[in-house]
Amino acid sequence: MHHAFEFADNQHGVELSRTPAGYRLHLDETHTVDVRVLAEIDGRLRLNIDGRKIDAIIATRGDEVFIHLDGEAYQLRYRHPLERLAAQHQGGAADGIRAPMPGSVITVAVAAGDSVSRGQTLLTMESMKMETTLVAPRDGVVAAVNFAAGQSFDRDALLLSLESITA
Amino acid sequence: MKNSLSHDTSAWPFKAVLVANRGEIAVRVLRTVQALGLKGIVVFHAADRGTLAVQMADQAIEITGSTPVAAYLDAEQILKVARDSGAGAIHPGYGFLSENAGFARAVAAAGLVFIGPLPEQIELMGDKVRARNFVERAGFPVAPSAIEDDDPESFNDRARAVGTPLLIKPSAGGGGKGMRIVRDLALLDAEIERARSEGQRYFGDGRLYVERYIENPRHIEVQVLGDGYGSVVHVFERECSVQRRFQKIVEETPSPALTPELRARICETAAGIARSAAYRNAGTVEFIYAQTGEFFFLEMNTRLQVEHPVTEAITGKDLVLEQLRVAAGEALGYTQADLRTSGHAIELRIYAEDAARGYTPTTGPLLRLRAPEGEGLRWDSGVVEGGEVTAAFDPMIAKLIVHGTDRSEALARADHALRDTVLLGCKTNIGFLRRLIAHPAFVAGDVHTGFLDANPQIAAEPELAPSTLQALLAAASLSTKTMRDGADAIPDLHAALGAWRN
Repeated sequence: MHHAFEFADNQHGVELSRTPAGYRLHLDETHTVDVRVLAEIDGRLRLNIDGRKIDAIIATRGDEVFIHLDGEAYQLRYRHPLERLAAQHQGGAADGIRAPMPGSVITVAVAAGDSVSRGQTLLTMESMKMETTLVAPRDGVVAAVNFAAGQSFDRDALLLSLESITA
Repeated sequence: MKNSLSHDTSAWPFKAVLVANRGEIAVRVLRTVQALGLKGIVVFHAADRGTLAVQMADQAIEITGSTPVAAYLDAEQILKVARDSGAGAIHPGYGFLSENAGFARAVAAAGLVFIGPLPEQIELMGDKVRARNFVERAGFPVAPSAIEDDDPESFNDRARAVGTPLLIKPSAGGGGKGMRIVRDLALLDAEIERARSEGQRYFGDGRLYVERYIENPRHIEVQVLGDGYGSVVHVFERECSVQRRFQKIVEETPSPALTPELRARICETAAGIARSAAYRNAGTVEFIYAQTGEFFFLEMNTRLQVEHPVTEAITGKDLVLEQLRVAAGEALGYTQADLRTSGHAIELRIYAEDAARGYTPTTGPLLRLRAPEGEGLRWDSGVVEGGEVTAAFDPMIAKLIVHGTDRSEALARADHALRDTVLLGCKTNIGFLRRLIAHPAFVAGDVHTGFLDANPQIAAEPELAPSTLQALLAAASLSTKTMRDGADAIPDLHAALGAWRN
């Protein structure tokens, strides 16, 4: 599959092609569904999917696709083919310590170049009126500290990184 | 909410009210102020420039601060703005300066009217220790506890004597900040130190107190109104037991837990406490309610409460109007017997948060926002489509209030309304709220403050049906330009030969 969407921590490969009546969605090598666009106005999409009618409200921002469907909101992210290729060759996922939630840094316990051991406190952060301690996920050397005490950040911000083991 | 109120304000000492707050509560207060024909002024930090309160105010004045929150806490700056703008009164909303006695005094000293209680009443109820002692002396029930200030030397021993499980709280605290439960006395000393450091950080005050932690309690609170001339009424109770991280998320009235006798008793207790303080303003007396039917005074909030709309729904009272009236010097003008309720109301707080990830806050743009519409619905929100949820403030996006003839009608309306609410661009708790109000225990009214912790499956993301995933991937693919253009550019053989339909 050439294209993919990330949804709820899973990747879903997908292809889209034309049919006389509309489109065909290829979910894997053998599994396809026919999709017809019945209406498409101002972010509202009415589709016929293999005979099933659905109404969705869509908003996009960059690669993110937000969908309101049947009373629920979903968020998918389009993954570029190149980005996916790069991710496959990276490994060492624990190199970056990302913010589990938005908040601000209270203290930073380490500096770039410091050797740390697994479980050692790297920084303390504050979010939702509570203090959370982030610890080293493995032994290693701190490559960079991206936030100083008092600075705030969004969820998933790269707070700190360890030098890659393979490097 | 009505667009105009027929109340005569000609004798009031103010014609313009400055709202020293933001978000949905600034909008809420402005609505009543403007409906009375008074001028509504609001202060705002640049981060709030695009919000509804700023749009609807008759005058909006920018304030600055080292952080957005600091701007709204800057009493001196806000007071100067109020004087310069010709405001005759300041409504503090909730949070920020609403329970700051120094601010209330400064407002009065500047010759303006503070829409709230007397400064001494804020001081009395703002300090948990003083409040508890006051309530106990007045003859109302309080839970077993130990207060550090009584004798700091023996605090840890006295805390131990309260017995487990126990709850440590900062004396100056509120909103669940710095609270810790201890079930094992071996951890007590360490937890006391931790609570002290949190209290110091959040309130600049490390003093603590400890009280018996009541297992699976309900949080039931009572709305009160006092005019400062000795007249105090209660405006019935609110059940706020569904909480996460010690913060309310769903509130309703009447409480499904109370018999008519218990309702009368808890409501009269609250009115009695407020009466003992000769209370002026709208206020809320909070109780911890044990499964046994016992209840104990928890604290009194001397301000308008986030969940006040459910009380308004069943009583028809506009609580902001009542606050303005008594602050303007009017007497309540009615008695307890004049207050009646009709039906059942539920408030659901819509938060930018990820329930499945420990209710952690989320941020993002409000790309699409459509409030639900229908009978018995009220939508209180301070944000508009195109706005953004940032980490600068509390992540509450809106309050959905539903009113029905009974609880089951209110619940049905709530589910419909949540379904119809479109909020795209940042993860919200709407799906979670729907699962919560469909849970058999919630439907039965059988909840307690630990209900969500005890039922983590409600917060978990439900398994997705394959047909839903298909629909999502279809909609996403068609909405992704690269994919759509790619498909359109290379029509398959049949498409090329057949009749094109776009």
